[in-house]
Amino acid sequence: MSKYTFPIGGIHPNDAKFSKGCAIEVLPIPPVVYVSMAQHLGAPAVPCVAAGDKVKVGTVIGEPAGFISAYIHSPVSGTVKSVGPRKDLAGNNVTHVEITVEGDEWEDGIDLTPDIVKEIPSDRAAVLDKIKKCGVVGLGGATFPAHVKLNPSPDTKADCILINGAECEPYLTSDHRIMIERPEEIVIGAAIMQMVLGGCRCVIAIEDNKPEAIASMKGAVAKLGYRNMEVLTLKKKYPQGGEKQLIDAVLRRQVGSGALPISVGAVVQNVATALAVYEAVQKNRPLITNTMTITGDKLPVSEQHNYLFRIGVPFSFIAEQAGGVPEYAAKIVSGGPMMGKAIANMDATTVKGTSSLLYLSKESTKRKEEGLCIRCARCAESCPMGLEPFLINRVYKAGDLAGMEKASAQDCIECGCCQYSCPANIPLVDNIRMAKGQVMAEIKKRRSNGK
Amino acid sequence: MENKLVSPNPHVHAKSSTSSLMWDVIIALAPAMVVSILWYGWSALMLLALGAGFCVLLEWTITKWMMRKPSVACLPAAALTGLLLALNMPPSTPWWTVLIGAIVAIGVAKMSFGGMGQNVFNPAITGRVFLLVSFPQQLTNWEIPRGFIGGGLDAVSGSTLLSQVKLEGAGSVADLDIFRTFLLNPGGSMGEISGLALLIGFVYLLCRKVVKPWIPLSIFLTVALVSGIFHLCNPEAYTGPLFNLVAGGLILGACFMATDYVTSPMSDWGGVVFGVGLGFIVMMIRYFGSYPEGVSFAILLMNMTVPLIDRAFHRKKYGYGRA
Repeated sequence: MSKYTFPIGGIHPNDAKFSKGCAIEVLPIPPVVYVSMAQHLGAPAVPCVAAGDKVKVGTVIGEPAGFISAYIHSPVSGTVKSVGPRKDLAGNNVTHVEITVEGDEWEDGIDLTPDIVKEIPSDRAAVLDKIKKCGVVGLGGATFPAHVKLNPSPDTKADCILINGAECEPYLTSDHRIMIERPEEIVIGAAIMQMVLGGCRCVIAIEDNKPEAIASMKGAVAKLGYRNMEVLTLKKKYPQGGEKQLIDAVLRRQVGSGALPISVGAVVQNVATALAVYEAVQKNRPLITNTMTITGDKLPVSEQHNYLFRIGVPFSFIAEQAGGVPEYAAKIVSGGPMMGKAIANMDATTVKGTSSLLYLSKESTKRKEEGLCIRCARCAESCPMGLEPFLINRVYKAGDLAGMEKASAQDCIECGCCQYSCPANIPLVDNIRMAKGQVMAEIKKRRSNGK
Repeated sequence: MENKLVSPNPHVHAKSSTSSLMWDVIIALAPAMVVSILWYGWSALMLLALGAGFCVLLEWTITKWMMRKPSVACLPAAALTGLLLALNMPPSTPWWTVLIGAIVAIGVAKMSFGGMGQNVFNPAITGRVFLLVSFPQQLTNWEIPRGFIGGGLDAVSGSTLLSQVKLEGAGSVADLDIFRTFLLNPGGSMGEISGLALLIGFVYLLCRKVVKPWIPLSIFLTVALVSGIFHLCNPEAYTGPLFNLVAGGLILGACFMATDYVTSPMSDWGGVVFGVGLGFIVMMIRYFGSYPEGVSFAILLMNMTVPLIDRAFHRKKYGYGRA
């Protein structure tokens, strides 16, 4: 039993990793794809193709529109049919590039062989440029552009890069599968990022409910023999994969309120991001594929899948390939059950950060009637940020902005632990998210006033 | 895509609910209730049933017909209040005192403050204290009714251990078999009959993670410490720590009434402060008060301090420096 875990709060939901034994299958390509220009944190990319243009797999179709933004590449070969607004999974209009698929022809220079390239390049600037040009973003959930995170400002220094294999969300198994099936590529990707950050320590952190992944990653690290790299087993607890929690679990350091992990010398990247970095740097392959899990609380394991998908594929197409939306599904979630987004529009398409199609039954997901707070303190005990959700909820309802800031609504990571634990079914996260928005706006206003 | 739920995260919820927590406490009281029913017979059964029944009826009626906002009745919580109220009364109390106690507990102490979660004082204790000061004769009638087993000691009148100490001095209980008293101690309030049965229930609550041990532990330690010091100084005048731990309503009060979520502090350290204050007041009343027993008064007095204690103890936030 590992002793490493984060010390504040956290919960132990049933991990429900039903699909952990399902090997990764390649998802077929639909006749038409719709590629979103807003697949990353920061400014949406600007489309650089027009209707009628011919594209290959890997052709740049969107260019970054600012410092925090990312390139977007065509996931298929064919003809651009249109460029314009289309609804994303929540129903918001976002610019999409519509491409009619013709064959599967890749851009020149992309290495499609299965050979593993082990030599780590040493030109830091060239590697960073490649990561940027290949549109690599963090695949752990936030989709923050990887080249920005890997290039911290000169007055800071990274002394440890954490490769996040915690996969603490229940149900999700895509990280688990890539760690079993593609461990060497992940380790090489980690070593590349280690080199970019100046040869700091590298820790690959995995929760103890994934012994096969731990064994597989340990084997790859031993085989490749890079210096200053280790696999660390963590004691299972949600939300261990949260950046701040992972840093506390492994390094016993806390990132200050409003600060970035680099301020305590840490950089966190997901295992899937490490794989994307490997493919970008060693194989010249842009980020147009990722792995996702098709699962649910009542879906028979035989109908569950882990798919290697291309971006821009409609969810409805994926559901069809996997045997249709099951009868029992009351809610369809993209992402995990704790932090994922409910899908309001199955015609929406996959993006770089898509991690699952999760079918939840009414019994497991329907919100129960809100009761009155009985002051049991379960919300406070479960909060991994050490906050008091009942207090933020109360001051939010009273409209007390100063009280919300004092109670640190702005530090909430929206992990859902408090609402999960509340016996009175109070929608704490809904209210705290609103409070957080108000406080953040206030802080921004103060800053722009030069205070 | 029609008929699918769409709402923000989290999309799943833990199994526990307010009702399930209250049921857990009722289950934890079962051993004590069984012992008192076996020992005190029909009258114990009747008082428990009446207490729970009245409280549920009142809670339901008031939330349904008298509260101005739509409000949710939590019937297991009301039943629990009723059971605790009955367990805090002597087995020979007339039935109508339970009705009055229930009206005070649910109507005055709970609903007039706004219902579930809003009350300052523990409802069951408020009901009991109201009865104690209003109907002292009925509430200190320690006759033991005929039980289903063992009882047999018809109409052993008399007094509780603590009132015996008050009347005859600490020396009168010097030869008491503490362990036997802990196992079975008829002659007080119904719930006080067996410390062992109460502790078995409390261990169940701890295992189910319904409550934490800090409040009862700090009460027990404070009582032991305070009475230990007094007893060492003057064993003739002051009863000792073991006696004070097993006598009266301390175990019932510490494990089941002082741990009430609504009327106790939310933080662990706040709970310790609450428990220490409570234990100290209990011993001051027992030694120097005019009442022989002080657990109920101590709980009410400490209930008043909870908002202040909650202001003083906050959780350590992430990212604001490790102390």
